[in-house]
Amino acid sequence: MTINDLSAGQEAQVVDVTVSGATGQRLLDMGFVEGTALKIVRNAPLVDPIDVLVRGYHVSIRHAEAKSVEVELL
Amino acid sequence: MSAGANEKRAFKVAVAGQPNSGKSTTFNALTGARQFVANYPGVTVEKRAGSFSYRGDKVTLVDLPGTYSLTSYSLEERVARDFLLDEHPDAVLNVVDASNLERNLYLTFQLLEMELRLVVALNMTDIARGRGIEIDPDLLAGELGVPVVPTVGNRGKGRRELREALWEVCTGAIDVRSGFRIDYGEALESSLAPLERAIAGLPEILNRAPARWLAVKLLEDDAEAAKLVTGVTEARDYRLSSS
Repeated sequence: MTINDLSAGQEAQVVDVTVSGATGQRLLDMGFVEGTALKIVRNAPLVDPIDVLVRGYHVSIRHAEAKSVEVELL
Repeated sequence: MSAGANEKRAFKVAVAGQPNSGKSTTFNALTGARQFVANYPGVTVEKRAGSFSYRGDKVTLVDLPGTYSLTSYSLEERVARDFLLDEHPDAVLNVVDASNLERNLYLTFQLLEMELRLVVALNMTDIARGRGIEIDPDLLAGELGVPVVPTVGNRGKGRRELREALWEVCTGAIDVRSGFRIDYGEALESSLAPLERAIAGLPEILNRAPARWLAVKLLEDDAEAAKLVTGVTEARDYRLSSS
């Protein structure tokens, strides 16, 4: 399951980031680290972005990036 | 440094921080209007420079691009990183957003791994407090092994203490080579150790970057770090074959 599979209001924690390179690095920089709790604030059904609450701040990510963050529901 | 009592010393301080940490506001608070845009050859990313005087010495601050990290993936990060490695600043002022401390400390750890002489400005303490976050600067300073000064950049709070701390680090009055070290766990440490040892045998590299930091970057598959090492080893191979 990835962030892309979650809907607004759902809470989960990061299991893995499966993309490498610049995108993977930036996701890690933004706090998508294994074990980090997150909550989906808003989720645009067809178009980007997704608004994710991580460690008290909002991060906007694209669906393509959301697919690279494996999570498990809390 | 054997400067006479009346001789004005000049120090160079790099200002590093994540975007929106209040880096530029802190820079302005410290330097007033005495700033100019510094142009560095080869890059289009600007670095602003400004200065202040403290106890008769001149401290010049260079405001680096705001970065979340110090990898070699983006131009801003390479500019910031190259400056920190190549210009040998007397101190680095790391501005962190106290209301997003965890994320901001990620950059702090990278600066510490680069074995830079750090002063941490714990900025936006008012906003953090408003969110119910109270940070003990002395405890943080103890954990990191570097001075931590609480500031509110846009009100100039902590300015005097920050100037004092920077001057003390620049002059060597306090030693902040903290020996801070992240334990990456057995799986990574067993790969880092041989890399560190190999790098430690290459003095041409040690002039440019600390061994452990470079070993971590090589494990990350950092392109610039790899280039640095191959550049040195190729030059070495050339000398050996032509001698």
